[in-house]
Amino acid sequence: MKTVKILHLYADAMDLYGDKKNLEVLCQRIRETGAQAETAPCGLGEEIKLEGVDLVYMGHGKARSLAAMAPHFCHYSEEIKAHIEAGQLWFVTGNARELFGREFTTVTGEVLPGIGLFDYRGEEHNKVFVADMVGRAAFDETLRCYGFANRTASLVYPAGNPSPLFRQVSGFGDGDREEGCEGTLYRNFFATWAMGPVLVRNPGLMRELLRRLGLDPTACDFSLEERALELVLREFPDQKNG
Amino acid sequence: MNLKFCIAALVCKVLAFGANLLGGGTDSPGRIALKLYPAVLRQLRYDGKIIAVTGSNGKTTTSNLIAHVLRQQGYSVINNEKGSNLTSGIATTLLCGATLGGRLRADYIVLEVDECYSRFIFADVPADYYLVLNLLRDQVVRNGNPDLVLEKVAAAIAQRPDCTLILNANEPISQQLADCGNQCIYFAMDKTVRSTDTCVSGTHDCRICPRCFHRMSYSFYHYNHLGLFRCEHCGYRSHEPDFLGSGVDFAARRLLINGVPVEVTYNTTFNMFNTVAAAAVCCSASGMSLEQFARGAKSFHVAKERLDSFAFDGRKTVLMMTKQNAASLDQSISYVLEQEGEKTVVLYINNVLYLEYKDISWLYDVAFERLRGKVANILCTGNRALDAAVCVKAAGFTEPTLVYETDLDKTKEAFRKTKGDIYILAASAFGNEGKILEVLKREDR
Repeated sequence: MKTVKILHLYADAMDLYGDKKNLEVLCQRIRETGAQAETAPCGLGEEIKLEGVDLVYMGHGKARSLAAMAPHFCHYSEEIKAHIEAGQLWFVTGNARELFGREFTTVTGEVLPGIGLFDYRGEEHNKVFVADMVGRAAFDETLRCYGFANRTASLVYPAGNPSPLFRQVSGFGDGDREEGCEGTLYRNFFATWAMGPVLVRNPGLMRELLRRLGLDPTACDFSLEERALELVLREFPDQKNG
Repeated sequence: MNLKFCIAALVCKVLAFGANLLGGGTDSPGRIALKLYPAVLRQLRYDGKIIAVTGSNGKTTTSNLIAHVLRQQGYSVINNEKGSNLTSGIATTLLCGATLGGRLRADYIVLEVDECYSRFIFADVPADYYLVLNLLRDQVVRNGNPDLVLEKVAAAIAQRPDCTLILNANEPISQQLADCGNQCIYFAMDKTVRSTDTCVSGTHDCRICPRCFHRMSYSFYHYNHLGLFRCEHCGYRSHEPDFLGSGVDFAARRLLINGVPVEVTYNTTFNMFNTVAAAAVCCSASGMSLEQFARGAKSFHVAKERLDSFAFDGRKTVLMMTKQNAASLDQSISYVLEQEGEKTVVLYINNVLYLEYKDISWLYDVAFERLRGKVANILCTGNRALDAAVCVKAAGFTEPTLVYETDLDKTKEAFRKTKGDIYILAASAFGNEGKILEVLKREDR
């Protein structure tokens, strides 16, 4: 039986707004396909070991927690970038995304470096920004998704988002305005500001992850999730014909 | 005499009187007075002391308990008992209690204040005591995470260096307010039979130390991240309490505060905490003894609005209200688990705020897992019923235990398909919380 090895980065520090359920439900789904799931947490002061890991998960956290994790994370920047370039599957939500850009600002106005995988810059506003978002998955444009942003930071791109996870987006982008797209999908690196939990509320996204883990999602029953999502999407008048 | 003040105060009094007769809100009279004269609150003069109460959970109950005990001791008290805790609601309370000359002739002003608004209120209202009960994830669409709320509370305190803080030594986030440098009094609760070694709640806002970000250790938990904490890395820990609740006997509704027996009317962990906090405030602010506090606390009753009990089809039905607050819903689950007999839990979940956000992320912070095998049914209702069902499914429930009905008009039929006593856990969302009651109490056609 296949065992999916999952590394949960900063599980104690980076968890807001029900986000940890993404990983819990992903593990349930992995088991439903007949495989095993094995999750190992990795916190501050512990070595990040990416070798042999099938999926790395990192969630949304308080701004101060993010800033405190950043130096530890960046210590492994070369290794992290190499694994992502080699196609390792990552799923990153919320402000954890800031760690993958060039730099980001903190609550105290400090500027901290990211690992520089992407060209964007994170900006902390220390003010709550919330919005619904609906869009189409970049890997399958027939797939409509829903997410909810609840954040205090945003991402600023020098020349637009080159590799979004969602296209034809209404509601919000990686900044505070509508940008037509949201998130990042680069090789097997998935990232979004969308809470939800986004994987639980969007079965299409969950299926895609399972497929990229080499699993067959047909054994999973998503009927309740599909119905719930359909009802949500129907409530967005501009997207009726989607 | 300040004519502008006089007019604003008079308008407020008249509007509040009218609102009282016609059943209107307690917010708008103050709002209009502030519009007429923005500096209206700065003109007030106080004969007595001002006690402000805030926190994510328990502020209405605790501030009413404090006011009740003070009154029992013969003090005159002005308070915002209905919980209008934003600047405008505070203005209504203060202006209605003031003379047209701007004097508040009460021994104590007890104000429940919103966590995020206290910084605006404190600009004009010189609080003498500030009780911060706790800071947890609460109404996250409005408040974000507790760090953001902490900063706002700290900004309020920064304006009042002479204000004495009453802090919860079991709550690592708000205990940091001691850093403001004000005089501090601490309260805490000893381990109870309901305490746990691990966190059984759905969310934990302080797994890591808020100072050094290393893993936090807890000797025990009361609920969520409240408990006896210490950080092995930097030494941040629960402060030695000045007021300690111990020997809690939930069944007998009794506890000891610094060794003095105190009877309470409600036997929840929340309420035991509220009582210890109220004792810390009453004794510190008025110099009353704990025995005197105990005499007053004995006759206190919680406002009925958040817990309503009635019969539906002859079945015992209990309605419990929360405001998109996971900790409070977790406590409701604890309450349900303690009840005897077969039971059904009904979730009534709606869109958030007037902007109708479809977010229910806060519901995923609730430990529904604890209900597994303990309930006949979980019925999800409200316009987010299906999303709630997905959340409950994620906690390991399947049909036919898990059922849902999005159409409020069909709620009765849905209730009739469930078994046992009914516990409705309702998340209020902009005034629609009463609708499920209307439907249930409506005559069958």
